[in-house]
Amino acid sequence: MPRVIMHVDMDSYFASVEQQARPSLRGKPIGVTGRPTEQSIIVAASREAKRRRVWTGMPVWEARKVCPEIELVGGNPERYLSITKEFIEILKEYTALLEIYSVDEAFLDVTQEEAKHGGAVRMAAEIRRRFREKLGECITATIGIAEGKTFAKLIGARNKPDGVGRLDPEEMAELLESTPIGDVWGIGPRITARLNRVGIRTLKDLGQASEHYLKREFGIYGLHLLEVGQGRDSTPLVPYTEVPAPKSVGHSKSLPPDLRDFRLALIILRDLCDKVARRMRRLGFMGRTVHCGFRIGSIGPHYGKQTTLDLPANDGEVFYKACLVVLDKIPVKPEQVSNVGVSVGNLVPAEGTLCSLLETDRRREQLNAAVDRIRDRYGDRSIRLGTSLLVRPIPQHVGGFFMASDDLEVG
Amino acid sequence: MYLTVNEPIDALVIYRRGSPHPHLRAFRWHDRRYDVTATHLVHCEREGDTVDLVYSVTCGDDTCVVRLDTDRGRWTLEALESTD
Repeated sequence: MPRVIMHVDMDSYFASVEQQARPSLRGKPIGVTGRPTEQSIIVAASREAKRRRVWTGMPVWEARKVCPEIELVGGNPERYLSITKEFIEILKEYTALLEIYSVDEAFLDVTQEEAKHGGAVRMAAEIRRRFREKLGECITATIGIAEGKTFAKLIGARNKPDGVGRLDPEEMAELLESTPIGDVWGIGPRITARLNRVGIRTLKDLGQASEHYLKREFGIYGLHLLEVGQGRDSTPLVPYTEVPAPKSVGHSKSLPPDLRDFRLALIILRDLCDKVARRMRRLGFMGRTVHCGFRIGSIGPHYGKQTTLDLPANDGEVFYKACLVVLDKIPVKPEQVSNVGVSVGNLVPAEGTLCSLLETDRRREQLNAAVDRIRDRYGDRSIRLGTSLLVRPIPQHVGGFFMASDDLEVG
Repeated sequence: MYLTVNEPIDALVIYRRGSPHPHLRAFRWHDRRYDVTATHLVHCEREGDTVDLVYSVTCGDDTCVVRLDTDRGRWTLEALESTD
């Protein structure tokens, strides 16, 4: 029995949520940004802005150039996450085979359920109607329906915005012939360029390529590409109830041009280590491999190295010390850093992992547990490292950081 | 004009059966009553154990952002966007 997969994709999601919340923004080209500076980028553009050729990822200065009347709105991640939870709750009512792919995308396997809703297209219409009722008229979704995830996503993209598209088997040949490989989910610019070099431009070309060549060039992924080129896609859904354990936990932060001092980057790195450790404790993991890296300038180069701890840890201080060791191994010592990040891999469950017998380590464990309890009760902003308050500009400028009040800052 | 307010208010709400949050009908700020003519969006914000409900509503010509601290039952007018 062929699968019936739905891809639900919210249209211009962050911008639509802002337009729903603020009626004065409706019908206008708006851009949701991370920071109110010219160096920031457009995180999401409203459909009016997209019609004026403003795209996600475009620098603010460029967006202003192509669309001078664009209105910039600061992003509100908590608002988007809250609305995501609401639309996911609606989707859960339709099937248990629901994969939450991102904050604004989900896949549903409705093979068993479509009949009782009068078919997948009627089911999609019902979902969209419920979204409108529950979330508001501005927050719309496009739903693509096909036998596989790749094709559901592809057919959805062709029916954006606020539409429903179903790919019938007899339409597959035309779709394969007319779809450039770059339009396909999972085929990025690099793979596109490599395939274009050997004359593969459409999905049909891909389906006729040699299996040997694709396997040699792209490994096991090459076989998936061949399957997609032949109009098949057996990629399984990963239901939200069976999300695999993380392989690593990491955070990175971009610094605006006026705050790219290396010393500042280290202070931010210390905070990031704390954030990573807190997340790992929450998830119940400890890790041994610490990777640390930084980027110089807006487009690179990026330097990064890793080190392995003697024992698994989930303490920010341990990770930060490991990062300093890693940074010492990198020959480049920049004055300016545009991005800094840390990730911890080689994860093991914290429960059952041998703990240190040293009194100092046990005291740090107790300290971390106490800090976690305070943060659980009063929020992540309630208790912070003193070092993160040492430099005044960070809390005020770096997106995502706590807006500290002036009396806490010592300059 | 978008005005940040952050001042406590008295609120008039109704609790509807099956609804996850109270419906804001009116509030009083600076001795003036604002009747809610449309609710555009209600979303949750969490800070530790505390869950706030944030309402984007229209009262006549004004669009208001009103916050309910569900832990303390405290209502705040956060911002006001007026058409003039």
